[in-house]
Amino acid sequence: MIVTLNPKILHFSKLNPRSPLSRPSPRFHRTRTISLTTNCKLQNPQDGRITKTISLSDSAPPVTEESSGGNGGGGGGGGGGGFLKRLPRKVLSVLSNLPLAITEMATIAALMALGTVIEQGETPEFYFEKYPEDNPVLGFFTWRWIFALGLDHMYSAPIFLGMLALLAASLMACTYTTQIPLVKVARRWSFMKSDEAIKKQDFADTLQRASIQDLGVILMGDGYEVFMKGPSLYAFKGLAGRFAPIGVHIAMLLIMVGGTLSATGSFRGSVTVPQGLNFVMGDVLAPIGFLSVPTDSFNTEVHVNRFTMDYYDSGEVSQFHSDLSLRDLNGKEVLRKTISVNDPLRYGGVTIYQTDWSFSALQVTKDGEGPFNLAMAPLKINGDKKLYGTFLPVGDTNAPNVKGISMLARDLQSIVVYDLEGKFAGIRRPNSKLPIEIDGMKIVIEDAIGSTGLELKTDPGVPVVYAGFGALMLTTCISYLSHSQIWALQNGTTLVVGGRTNRAKNEFPDDMNRLLDQVPELIKTSAD
Amino acid sequence: MIFSILEHILTHISFSVVSIVLLIYFLTLLVNLDEIIGFFDSSDKGIVITFFGITGLLFTRWIYSGHFPLSNLYESLIFLSWAFAIIHIVSYFNKKKKNHLNAITAPSAIFIQGFATSGLLNNMPQSAILVPALQSQWLMMHVSMMILGYGALLCGSLLSIALLVITFRKVGSTFWKNNMKIKFLLNEFFSFDVLYYINERNSILLQQNINFSFSRNYYRYQLIEQLDYWSFRIISLGFIFLTVGILSGAVWANETWGSYWNWDPKETWAFITWTIFAIYLHIKTNRNARGINSAIVASLGFLLIWICYFGVNLLGIGLHSYGSFTSN
Repeated sequence: MIVTLNPKILHFSKLNPRSPLSRPSPRFHRTRTISLTTNCKLQNPQDGRITKTISLSDSAPPVTEESSGGNGGGGGGGGGGGFLKRLPRKVLSVLSNLPLAITEMATIAALMALGTVIEQGETPEFYFEKYPEDNPVLGFFTWRWIFALGLDHMYSAPIFLGMLALLAASLMACTYTTQIPLVKVARRWSFMKSDEAIKKQDFADTLQRASIQDLGVILMGDGYEVFMKGPSLYAFKGLAGRFAPIGVHIAMLLIMVGGTLSATGSFRGSVTVPQGLNFVMGDVLAPIGFLSVPTDSFNTEVHVNRFTMDYYDSGEVSQFHSDLSLRDLNGKEVLRKTISVNDPLRYGGVTIYQTDWSFSALQVTKDGEGPFNLAMAPLKINGDKKLYGTFLPVGDTNAPNVKGISMLARDLQSIVVYDLEGKFAGIRRPNSKLPIEIDGMKIVIEDAIGSTGLELKTDPGVPVVYAGFGALMLTTCISYLSHSQIWALQNGTTLVVGGRTNRAKNEFPDDMNRLLDQVPELIKTSAD
Repeated sequence: MIFSILEHILTHISFSVVSIVLLIYFLTLLVNLDEIIGFFDSSDKGIVITFFGITGLLFTRWIYSGHFPLSNLYESLIFLSWAFAIIHIVSYFNKKKKNHLNAITAPSAIFIQGFATSGLLNNMPQSAILVPALQSQWLMMHVSMMILGYGALLCGSLLSIALLVITFRKVGSTFWKNNMKIKFLLNEFFSFDVLYYINERNSILLQQNINFSFSRNYYRYQLIEQLDYWSFRIISLGFIFLTVGILSGAVWANETWGSYWNWDPKETWAFITWTIFAIYLHIKTNRNARGINSAIVASLGFLLIWICYFGVNLLGIGLHSYGSFTSN
């Protein structure tokens, strides 16, 4: 014998005061429903809620698996076929197991974390030194582990990619077996035929002297889709909230497909080109992955017409620009654009990004002779800042310790000049063409020739990945919506209303009460 | 000059107001000030003042420096405290009844702001210029979405931690006081059935409480239910923001550097955080093992967010080095 109590009895803390002259307080009705019944209720496995039921009725309970409740019907029914026919079903049911998926996600997260702790892409000697065998980290972790598992290139290592592939398989299996049937169930317009069924819902209420048509109109005003058949009513709102999780999974699969395409079929390359020179795209682009196929646009020649930099008032670099012309095989210009750091050039599937800059040469005249093109060499200092320097020899250039004028520059704007002893002589801007006197020589800095650092890339997976991104953003937002369902039944003049929702569980009773308050009460007009 | 003075004034206003609000909340813990309704409302109004103060602060910095105020760690921390103030206000205005988010957001806002304005971030309050890579419209969308996401997820995971603390505190201490007297057994048996029936519809947390007498722990059960529900809702919201933030960051990276995912430490940790909260949401769908497990996962998420936001910046490496301590 099982005692069943209506759980609503427990919410007595939420009594709202109502005048008993209008409609009676809904809670008073609930306190009446202490019923001692000896039958047990077999709830319908509408959305896989039931996992444990003690059934004393005649029919056999449906075979349900541990977590994929909706799959129960499908998985159990597959026993009719042979083993081969059952194998895909078995595989499917194993893959769509939720704890397995959660374990996969956790493993992937742990591997990613490991990838940030262990340095990636270093030489083998680095790992021999950092994780030596005679003094292992954590007592067991040596370089042998790293190379065996491929942890030095974690994000393309077999275990990582394998886990991702497994997760993709689980996603597909789960969408097919669990979520699609869920949608079918949620879409069914099932009318509830009995009072008990309605009163079993999360929220249930009984209105005396109310009409189901009024309720329908009020629900429609609140955005519900209402269906009425005779004395019963079914309304729902926010069905998109049920579809959206499927969309999320599909979007993730799309992103994974796009990522695979990118990893196997793209080209990339980087080049530093001094102002005035050119290069051919095909020479610079190197394939990444085994499916990379070059296109016709690889024959295009890129000419760097001009490279300029903008500066803030404080002297820091604000932006760099490259004026590029693209010419085809015949020398005809097909495109001309000035690119800058957040503004790349796109042509024929190839994208050219402005990523870096360098100092190519300094043009100086000495006592009117020249101009000499002095190549600038990068000097190593700490930090991100760049420093370039060059040297103009004075006197006998073949002597072993030849002296000369040194020039240093951090950017293309100001050149710092030092004299033959290494003492600071002055700063000049190339545009000003002002001469500087050093030890009797007149030096004019004519021009600072920069070179642009460009990165070229072609990636067939980008449209797919972008589509996946957009879909993921949209569907994640939509899945925040709550799917609410309301059933109602008219019994004479009494209206029984029940409803449930899947996400906004706390606000649902308040919303429902607000709506039900608006249902007008029918007053008997004539004496019967 | 005017702007920097204005900025200082606004910083001080918002900081002091939040401290006062915090003080009021702490006092309500010791002395039951709930009867003094006016007092309670004023603390919420205090948060509104703070919100306007921080908004004014951000606007001033925006005008003063010429770029959206999100370019270094200090500014992102101010933005984070602003996010907490927003969450507090939204929950205050939308819901008619008091909810427990208030206790989390106000202290969080003050701690974040206090840390930001303290001397630990040497010289960062100066507005800095943007390097070329940061001069993009995407800056606004990506970083603001990430910070809003972090704020909401932090709130949610703090609620889950609170849930765990409340659940496990009593169980530990009264388990040993469990009376084996016969006259209580029937009562407990009775309550067990009732609680089990509710359990089928709600959370599994209550099974921990089967040793106690029913009515005494009813309010605690309600509190746990509320915390569970609110942490779920706000983590879902934060998850949406985090998703949009990560994806807009990927698109931005593609526009600037040519590749939408570089396994940069910050990107990787953001993805790890996303994965953990996806696990949390999936555990919630499965009614078998919800309550405690999901709370544990969300608490782990709290740690991960801090590693992602702060820990990676401490290293100062990678493409996201704008936010490091050592920059500037």
